[in-house]
Amino acid sequence: MFAKEMLKQSLPLIIICGIGGVVTGNTLGAMIDILKEIPGLIVVIPAVIALRGNISTALGSRLGSAYHLGIIDAENLWNIELKQNIIGSLVLSFLMSLIIGVLAYITSLALNVHPDPLKLLSIVILAGVLSGLILTFLTIIIIYFVFKRGYDPDNITGPALATFGDVFSMLCIFGSAVLIGGIN
Amino acid sequence: MIYNWKRIVKNCIPLLTITICIEIFAGQILQGNQQKLFLIPIFLISIPVVNGVGGNIGSILGARLASGLHMGYIELSIKDKNMHENFFTSILLGFISYLILAIIIYYIAYFGDIRLSVGLMEFAFVVVCTGILLIIMVSLISVFTAFWSFKKGLDPDDMVAPVVTTVGDTLGIILLFFLIGVVGA
Repeated sequence: MFAKEMLKQSLPLIIICGIGGVVTGNTLGAMIDILKEIPGLIVVIPAVIALRGNISTALGSRLGSAYHLGIIDAENLWNIELKQNIIGSLVLSFLMSLIIGVLAYITSLALNVHPDPLKLLSIVILAGVLSGLILTFLTIIIIYFVFKRGYDPDNITGPALATFGDVFSMLCIFGSAVLIGGIN
Repeated sequence: MIYNWKRIVKNCIPLLTITICIEIFAGQILQGNQQKLFLIPIFLISIPVVNGVGGNIGSILGARLASGLHMGYIELSIKDKNMHENFFTSILLGFISYLILAIIIYYIAYFGDIRLSVGLMEFAFVVVCTGILLIIMVSLISVFTAFWSFKKGLDPDDMVAPVVTTVGDTLGIILLFFLIGVVGA
């Protein structure tokens, strides 16, 4: 009896998230030429996407708890607790992007692929921080409307931020690669 | 002040570093097989969908198991009927989702002028088989992580989603290449 309700409630959400995945995939498909040009770039893609999802859903989840604890709501949104959460997420985006770049470079060398370290690091960090800024901004907007309408943020922020995170991090990798790949 | 950015950073670094290491491994598998992907771009396009749906279903299953364990209607036993029901519904949910999305991807590629070099039946077979195998593995990991963390006194709500999405990404990519090899595309 529980399972039937799971199928009914989850299927539409999964298909919508899947269509977000199709957009991400088509962006990836449009990147084939850049992927061929910049060795090592394909290595960072799963990590950057996963990092974005993990940092953003954790931020959403913390703000959900903050809402339940009564320290943040639609009228009292831009306060010190929110700012600390935002700074934390952005610092994590920068630090972890750096680690992704370094690990991708070292493992590629070990497998006899030779990426340009400066180029690879700049692309990963730019994409990580840029998508971090976009997702933080989106999180605040989503959380504001969720609070305003009195919904439970725990039901909304997870899948919404995971899907937006996939799409925007992929677009940011694409943008950064075009921008930095173009500089020789 | 309840939240402090330094503490947030410190708390998140260990788990994020582990997930990054696993994701870099997945990335290296992609790099090693990139010729194949560039030759048949429709499979490259499918990767975020295969991984995304697997992670979503695994996370939903994990969240449901966590609620069931917290509320006591699911017991810590591999024979628990509610757990079985949730497990098999996840696989059914996966089958329907992957079939619908495979058809959507194929027709977007078809009308988007992307080189296909596989037929719809062949493509849907690869995506649905990859998906079902992935969901079975991800669901087993989800049940294991939820039960294990609950037994250890940790909150399964915190554990299942990152574990399942990270492992799911890597398994998804490995299974996709395996199934592409089976079809011989």
